Amino acid sequence: MRILIVEDDELVADALERGLAQAGFVVDHVGTAEQAEAALAADEFDLAVVDIGLPRTDGLSLVRRLRRSGSDVPVLIITARDALADRVDALDLGADDYMTKPFELPEVAARCRALIRRTRSATSAQLTIGAVALDLASRTVQLHGHALDVTRREWSVLECLALDTGRVVRKERLLRAIAGWDEELTPNAVEVYVSRLRAKLGDAVAIHTVRGLGYRLDDPAA
Amino acid sequence: MTLQPEPVSGPTSLGRRLLVLLLAPLAVLLIAGLLFDYISSIGPVRGAFDRSLGDAALVVAAYLRPGSLEKIPRELPPEVSATLRGTGDRALRLAVRDGAGRLLAGESNLPLPPAGFTARSTPNPAFADIRLAGEPARVAWYALALDSGPTTITVAESTRARDRPSREFLAVTMLVDILQLLAILLLVILGVRRGLKPLLALRDQLAARSASELESLDEHSVPAEVRTLVASLNALFARMRATAESQQKFVADAAHQMRTPLAGMQAQLELLERDPQAAPVRDRIHAVGEGLRRLAHTAHQLLTLARAESAATLERDFRAVDLRQLIEQTVTAQLDRALAKSIDLGADAEPATATGIDWLLREMLNNLTDNALNYTPSGGTVTLRCGTIAGAAFLEVEDNGPGIEATERPLITERFRRAAGAAGVGTGLGLAIVSDIARVHGARLSIDTGAGGRGTLARIEFPARKDRGA
Repeated sequence: MRILIVEDDELVADALERGLAQAGFVVDHVGTAEQAEAALAADEFDLAVVDIGLPRTDGLSLVRRLRRSGSDVPVLIITARDALADRVDALDLGADDYMTKPFELPEVAARCRALIRRTRSATSAQLTIGAVALDLASRTVQLHGHALDVTRREWSVLECLALDTGRVVRKERLLRAIAGWDEELTPNAVEVYVSRLRAKLGDAVAIHTVRGLGYRLDDPAA
Repeated sequence: MTLQPEPVSGPTSLGRRLLVLLLAPLAVLLIAGLLFDYISSIGPVRGAFDRSLGDAALVVAAYLRPGSLEKIPRELPPEVSATLRGTGDRALRLAVRDGAGRLLAGESNLPLPPAGFTARSTPNPAFADIRLAGEPARVAWYALALDSGPTTITVAESTRARDRPSREFLAVTMLVDILQLLAILLLVILGVRRGLKPLLALRDQLAARSASELESLDEHSVPAEVRTLVASLNALFARMRATAESQQKFVADAAHQMRTPLAGMQAQLELLERDPQAAPVRDRIHAVGEGLRRLAHTAHQLLTLARAESAATLERDFRAVDLRQLIEQTVTAQLDRALAKSIDLGADAEPATATGIDWLLREMLNNLTDNALNYTPSGGTVTLRCGTIAGAAFLEVEDNGPGIEATERPLITERFRRAAGAAGVGTGLGLAIVSDIARVHGARLSIDTGAGGRGTLARIEFPARKDRGA
């Protein structure tokens, strides 16, 4: 998985480069938006990590230009500003996620992995989280390379959580995923399927309950 | 030349000043008019009475024929006295004397005319105020030269009779004058009120705006006299807005300039700590990393405080904020910390909307949640709650940790103060930020014991939302 870091501060760029490389990514680094455009045009990247405060052309303008030119490379914005307006701007312009400085390297790596996974699941039917592999086309699960027997509803819950690995998925959304048009299900049903999934998946992935909100499936590598 | 400030007694009110300045001279003027009316009307009344008294003396004189003095009756003939009396109680007293002052007829207790009073004296008849049997009276003397010698006729009457008409006249004049006075007072009061209306409207407009509202006032709808004042106010508002804006920008820039190197150093230390070569000094690297984290946190908190203050003066940034979404974001952001500490972090969110600045409210909730996670031991519970009671939204963060002593509670919102026995990293700014942000939003922060007398319950009550034309 190849990542382009667009950051003008050497200290930050160096740390990101090393940290992401240690997390298993192939990393390239440029210091300006112009260089980034050139690099993204010349090579295939799975993700761009873009700082907003770049010299001359800023990060937001870079994202706007990329999207206008038809590039759909996922973009993780990193900024030293924390005003909400920036965040909204960034996401509106087509950035995929947003982090503020200072950051923890493991979190940056986790966000990168999640973004790449999400983009890939849109184009490929395969979704892998740790030892769990989902085939979205055939709706089958493999655990440690062996087929895992899950019911239709368990699959729907797992698919929902896996597509948003590392993010809290609302209980209501899971309920809609398992309930057909004419079925009346109580939120308790979701709890039942989640606990069954936990039993079947064991330690391979963690499904955390977020009381009052929903569930979050975590990639053990993050 | 120095301007002496006018001595101020109590709060000066322009309305009261105008009333005093207008009403006092007006009242004096009206009272003077009243006196003038009285004095100028009393003269003719007196003259008329004197004339009729003099006429009485002349009538009596007509009865005096030579040699008939002995026949003068003690009382005038009924037909004469009737004409003289005119009105009921004008009892006339009569005395006729000769030149030597001997009483020829009538009553003896009437006063003698002044010495040297003869038929050729002017005026004739002459008048004087006297007292008769202890009562005020008016007397007329008429001197005539008869064949029998100089004679004087003295006619007197009590002034009570003549006082009544003048009193009546005075009463009527006074009544009219007083009514006039009252009408003028009323007109002045109404006029002053009406005249000051644009000023009072301006006052109400200023009073109704919150301290942080810095929009310009309409200069054209105010009276010319205060237009300069309003223009100065507007200039001041504009300057304050500009100051707040430049402070916001400065703080945002400062945040940017500080965060980037902090982020670089922190990330580099993280890498260094993992480096196998650094194993012998790992503890020291870790300690430096923690110090750096604390520094970054404090810088962030200080910048938040500074921004909260300048944001408060820019109220137009206030928008509807969905508190449920805010709770969801905060729980999501803090979940890893909670999981790492085995704390059950959850939400209990009912629909609630507050009017405010989104990122400030997020900082506020984040700080409250931070505190709860810091002070709650492993295995504890932290719950973020929101809802609406009677149109007013509230936010709550409840934990089942050790709680805060009641005596400590009023103090913990002070800057850099940390609860007794507080463990772990903390700037002591968290609750100061929370309380500042609550104040900016007109919300009330209360800190109590949690459910069942355990832990801490921090609660933010927002004012009821006014619908802003939405």
